[in-house]
Amino acid sequence: MRNKLLFGRSIDTGSWVHGVDPRAKLTGMVLYLVAIVAVQSWIALAGVAIFSLAYMLSTRIPLKYYLKAAKPLWTLMVFIFIVQCLAVKEGPPLWQIGSWTLYQAGLSSGGIAALRMAMLVSFTAILTFTTTPGLLNQGMNGVLKPLRLIGISADRLTLMMSIALRFIPTILDETQKIVKAQAARGADLKELPWKEKGRMLVSLLVPVTVSAFRRAEELVLSMESRGYIIGAARSEYHYLAWRQRDTWFVVSYILLAVASVAYHWI
Amino acid sequence: MSENGLAYELQRVSFAYHPDHPVLHEITLDIPSGSWVSLVGPNGCGKSTLAKLLGGLLAVNGGEIWVEGTRLDRDTVARLRPRIGMVFQNPDNQFIGATVEEDIAFGLEGRCLPREQMVERVKEYAEKMQIGHLLSKHPADLSGGQKQRVAVASILAMEPGIIIFDEASSMLDEKARGELLAILEEMQGSGNYTMVSITHDADEILASDRAIVLGGGSVVADLSPAELFEDGALLDSCRLIAPYRIRLKHAIRTRGLELPKELKLERG
Repeated sequence: MRNKLLFGRSIDTGSWVHGVDPRAKLTGMVLYLVAIVAVQSWIALAGVAIFSLAYMLSTRIPLKYYLKAAKPLWTLMVFIFIVQCLAVKEGPPLWQIGSWTLYQAGLSSGGIAALRMAMLVSFTAILTFTTTPGLLNQGMNGVLKPLRLIGISADRLTLMMSIALRFIPTILDETQKIVKAQAARGADLKELPWKEKGRMLVSLLVPVTVSAFRRAEELVLSMESRGYIIGAARSEYHYLAWRQRDTWFVVSYILLAVASVAYHWI
Repeated sequence: MSENGLAYELQRVSFAYHPDHPVLHEITLDIPSGSWVSLVGPNGCGKSTLAKLLGGLLAVNGGEIWVEGTRLDRDTVARLRPRIGMVFQNPDNQFIGATVEEDIAFGLEGRCLPREQMVERVKEYAEKMQIGHLLSKHPADLSGGQKQRVAVASILAMEPGIIIFDEASSMLDEKARGELLAILEEMQGSGNYTMVSITHDADEILASDRAIVLGGGSVVADLSPAELFEDGALLDSCRLIAPYRIRLKHAIRTRGLELPKELKLERG
């Protein structure tokens, strides 16, 4: 199962992007999100695509990995495309099926929206592909530190997130085992109609949830036995040092976001 | 180490999760520093509960537990915990870090060790457990035996004096179980650790110095592993089967045959 999951997996190619401070990468990703949201035209999309491609190539990770990262969301992209095609009724009509007409603007905005989604998912994979989970946690910890001002502990939040991420493959494995066990007793999900599948899902969710709670309890014992005390001071295994390169990395994203937003308004 | 040379002193220890259902009843026993004690008994007899009490993860309802001369209670548990390491049954559920090295470092971060010292210790104990080549691996990329090695390395890196193994080998395959046993024997040989193992594994019991049999929440017997495996009734009550070589020895003897003196069937 783990081998099929690219989500959260780092691929070390030793590129300069791998060496960028995770805090810079996280900030860059937020700015990229701003840039991609502002994209409303094919020209702006092409501009952001060139920027994205340049960064993806500089990670020295094969582009097929980025495409694979976006693959699980293809149904969502198709859905976004269809909704835009149905909703936007501007420009010259292109095609008519019964009472429904496909307009040029609908097709265009559908294409842009779906590609924006694909680019966002693929590009943000740079963050997880080039950063080990531990460094990512530490980066997140650094970025979320200001939350202390409103009484939220960044340490606890990032520990929670890292444990949740760490257990995704374990729980998926367990789900598969339960599905197989149920199939062995004649309740094969694949063979059932959709309505029955929905009902069966409950009988799958209950044991998976119970098992997740049991795991959580054992994990707490393990953490306690290793001296973990909520809120107590801890040192950090990963050392983060901000360099000039990290500043330039963030600056490049600021320029992208500013350009994208400016193009949108102008 | 305490002045009396004891890692644990249990004085009339009782515990119940619910007042109507006591799990442990007035257990009194001593565990000398540097020894390896096996806690055995049928399922539900309170072995794991006793392990949690010894590890300070639960508080006694009655009686006292003394760890290396200090009474274990709410005020001292945080101070004593660094002296006690625990390895649990399911290696998956005790893997906290996203990678092997982060998992080993987790306990060290809690001790606020400087980074250089942490890196050194992670490397040292990973090498000792022969997982030095797996430091950047995610838990899902490891076998059960490798995960249990990581768990032991994580505990050893904190350099505790006492280590409790709560059925640490029960989810491992035969090969991994043998590897874990070899690690335990090496640790025992070093003389640096007091080990308490809760186990159903006959080889593990046989390798330890002493077997304490629990039944119905009390200590039923406190004897050497060899004596335990000679006592058929006690073995039955613990639902244990003697190792093959001991069964073979008995079978040969019951048939009136003598074993050659140079033929050694016991472990070690």
